[in-house]
Amino acid sequence: MEIASGLLHGFAVALQPGNIIWCFVGCLLGTIVGILPGLGPAATIALLLPLTFKMDPAGGIIMLAGIYYGAKYGGSTTSILLNIPGESSSVVTCLDGYQMARKGRAGAALGIAAIASFVAGTVGVIGLTLVAPPVAAFALSFSSPEYFALMCLGLALVVLLSGTSLLKGLLSLLLGLWLTSIGTDLFTAQSRFIFGQATLLGGIDFMVVAIGVFAIGEVLSSVEAGEEAKVLPVPRGFRNLLPNAQELKACRFAFLNGSITGFLVGCLPGGGATISSFIAYGIEKAVSKHPEQFGKGAPEGVAAPEGANNADTGGALVPLLTLGIPSGGSTAIMLSALVLWGVKPGPLMMQESPDVFWGLVASMYIGNVVLLILNLPLVPLFAQILRLPVYVLFPVIFGISIVGAYGASGRMFDLGLLVGFGLLGYAMSKLKYPSAPLILGFVLGDAMERALRQSLMMSQGDLLTLVERPISAIMLSLALVILLIPLFGWFNRLRLRAITENG
Amino acid sequence: MNRRELLVGTASMLVAGAAGPAFAQFKPSRPIEFVVHGGPGSGNDVFARTLTTIIDQEKLLPVRMQVVNKPGGGSTSAAAYVVSKKNDPHVIACFTNIWLIDPMVQEAATNKLMDMSPIARLVVEPALVVVRADSPIKTLKEFIDAAKAKPGALKMSGGSITSRENTVRQLLMQLTGVRWVFISFPSGGERIAALLGGHVDLMIVDPSEAGEQVRAGKLRVIAQVNERRLPAFPDIPTIKEAGFDIPNVPQMRGVVGAPGMAAETIVFYEDLFLKASKTAGWQKFVNDSQLDGEFVKAAELKAFFTKFEGELREILKAAGAKVVR
Repeated sequence: MEIASGLLHGFAVALQPGNIIWCFVGCLLGTIVGILPGLGPAATIALLLPLTFKMDPAGGIIMLAGIYYGAKYGGSTTSILLNIPGESSSVVTCLDGYQMARKGRAGAALGIAAIASFVAGTVGVIGLTLVAPPVAAFALSFSSPEYFALMCLGLALVVLLSGTSLLKGLLSLLLGLWLTSIGTDLFTAQSRFIFGQATLLGGIDFMVVAIGVFAIGEVLSSVEAGEEAKVLPVPRGFRNLLPNAQELKACRFAFLNGSITGFLVGCLPGGGATISSFIAYGIEKAVSKHPEQFGKGAPEGVAAPEGANNADTGGALVPLLTLGIPSGGSTAIMLSALVLWGVKPGPLMMQESPDVFWGLVASMYIGNVVLLILNLPLVPLFAQILRLPVYVLFPVIFGISIVGAYGASGRMFDLGLLVGFGLLGYAMSKLKYPSAPLILGFVLGDAMERALRQSLMMSQGDLLTLVERPISAIMLSLALVILLIPLFGWFNRLRLRAITENG
Repeated sequence: MNRRELLVGTASMLVAGAAGPAFAQFKPSRPIEFVVHGGPGSGNDVFARTLTTIIDQEKLLPVRMQVVNKPGGGSTSAAAYVVSKKNDPHVIACFTNIWLIDPMVQEAATNKLMDMSPIARLVVEPALVVVRADSPIKTLKEFIDAAKAKPGALKMSGGSITSRENTVRQLLMQLTGVRWVFISFPSGGERIAALLGGHVDLMIVDPSEAGEQVRAGKLRVIAQVNERRLPAFPDIPTIKEAGFDIPNVPQMRGVVGAPGMAAETIVFYEDLFLKASKTAGWQKFVNDSQLDGEFVKAAELKAFFTKFEGELREILKAAGAKVVR
C-alpha cells in the first residue's frame, strides 16, 4: 500500500504541467542524442548540468533521466539503418537490425525496436516501483566471482552459438579480448600493448571499434561487391513500414527476455546496458527454434537487445535511488546533480525526498509513452533514408562514422584507429570471420579479466572460490552446458557430413 | 579641475605606477580554455564546470571561460595538450594528484606537472575510513589488530594502486608491519557496493560518497584522512589522532597554466580564482561536497609540488608500482 500511495504521490508530482514539459524536453533531447553517434547521454547530461542548477530537483531529475532513457530509444535508429551504433548499448542491434534493413524491413526493425523499448522500458520501471529494495539487496550479493561467471555466461551464449566456423569465431573473440587489454592496467598501473603511444594509455574507445568494424567495414565490402546500381528495397505504403503480425509474434518471448535480463543485469553496479543487451541476445538465440536466422535479420535479434538496454534503465536506477550507488557514467552524473540540488541521494532518499523519488518513477511511465509517440511516427520518415542512391548513402555513412568516432573523444588519433578498424572489418568480412565475437570480446573482456583477478585476490589465489559460491557455480555450469550442447551438434554434423561425403 | 581632484588623480596614477612596470595587468583577449583530463561528467569535469558557471554568473571575467575535455590515458592527453600550448596565456588546466603520478609511473607520459605554471590549489578532498555498520571493528586500531591476527585475510576496496586510498594503506602497513589486501575496482559505485555487500572489509572513501550511507546506518566511520576533523564528523579521530603517525596524503584539485606563463598572468589567474573561491555559490558547492576549501597560492603550491612529488615517489615504490622517473 505504501507503494501505491507513493506512486500516486509521484504522479501528482510528475503530472504538474512544468514537470510534464521537462519530461518531454528530456525525452526529445535524449532521442536526438541517441540518434547522433558520438554524442552520448552521459556527455549531454554533463553539459546541461549547469543549466539545471536553478531548477526544482524533481523537474531537474525528470529531465536528466529523460535524456538518459530517451537516448537508448534513439540509439537503435542508425544501428538499423546504417549499421552505425548510435550508442554503445545499441551495438547488438546492428547484428540483426541492419540485416532486416537490407531485406527491405527497415521500417519493421525500427518499429520493433521502438515497441521493445517501450515494453521493456515500462517493465523496468514497474520493477523499479515494486521490487527495488529486494533487488538492490540481490545486486549487492554479487561479488567478483559472480561477475566473472556472468561474463563467462555471456561469452558462452553468444560466441559458441555464432557463425558457421567455431575456429573463426574464437579467433575473432581472441582479437577482441586482446584489443580491450590495450591501455593502462587498473591493478598495477602499468601500460599494456601501447607501442609507446601515450594516446593509447586510456585504451581504445569502444565506439571507435564498433563503428569501424561494423559501419566502415560494411561500406567497404558493399563497394567492392559493386552495389552501386542496387538500391536497398524500401517498400511503399505506410503499412509495409511497420512490423507485421508475424514479426511481432516472433518477438513475444524476446520482449519478456529483454525486459527481465535488462532489468536484472542493469541493477548490478558492474553491469551496464551493453553487457545486458549482449546477454539478452545470447539467451534469445539459445532458446530460439531457428538460431541460424540470427545475424541474418531475425526480428527477435532486434527486440531482445533493444528491450534489454531499455529495461536496463529501470535496473540501473535501483541502486542509484535506493542506495545512492551509481552503476555507470550517466547515473554517476545524475547522482552529482542530486547533490548539487541539495537532495541527499542514499538509502534515506526514498523517505526524505519522496517528491524526487516517486516523481521520477512516475515520470518514467509517462516518458516511455512520450517516447513511443515520438518515435513511431518517425519510423516511416527515417526508413526513407535508404532510398538514397548508394553514391550518396555511402559518403553519408562515412561522414556520420567520422563525426561519431571523433565526437566520442575529440582526438584525431581515433580517426586513424577508425580507418584501421574499418579495414579490419572489411578483411574479416572478406575472409568470412564473424565480427560479433570481436565486439563481444571487447565489451566483456575487460570486466571479465578484472572480475577474475579480483576474485583471486580475495581468495588469496584459490580458484575454487569461483565454484564455491552458489550463484557463480550455477552460472558457470550453465555456461559449460551451453558450450557443450553445440559441440555435440557440431560433431554430429561433422560426422554426418563425413558419412555423406564418403558414401 | 580643482586641486583636490588633481591630487586624487595624481595619487591614483602613482599607485598604478607603483604596480605598473613589474605587473602590467594581463587582460585576456579571447576565451580562456580550461582543460580537464576527464570526459564530460567525470569528477573533474563537474568540478570545472561548476567553477566556470560561477565565474560566468558573477561576471569575474571579461571573456568566456570554456571547459575543454582532453580525456585519455589518465591525465596524459590533457597534460600533453597543455604543454603543447606553451606560452599561451589563455590556456589553464584543472589538475589533481594523478597529474603528478602519471609521469612517474608511465613511460609514455612525458609531460610533468612541474613543467607547467602552478596557479592555485582550490580544494583538498578529505576522506573517511569506513567499515560496514555490522562489522565488529569499531576503531582503526581494532582493524589493524584484526589484520595482524589474520595476515592477508582482510580486504579493502579502492581504485588503482596509485590512488590515494592505496597510498594511505601503504603508509599504514609500513608503520604497523601488518598486511591486508587491496582490491581495485574501476568505479566508485563498485567499490562501495563491494563493501556494502560484505565482500571487502574496509574502504577509504570521499565523505560525499559515504556520508549518506553513514547517516542511514549502513556504514561506520572509524577514522578520517585529513589534517583536521571535518565539521560533519566531530567525534571521529583523524588517522594521526587515532594513534598512527603517518603523513597526511592530500587529494587535491587546483589550477595550473601552460608552461612559461608570465608572472603577471599568474597573478591575474590567482586573483580570479581567489575571488571565485569566495563567492557564495562556491562556498555552497564546497560545503555540499564536504571538501576542504583552503586556498593555496602559486608560490606555496610550487613548493608543495616539489615536496609532495618526492614523498609520493617513495610511497609508490613501496606500493609495488613501477616508478619510471
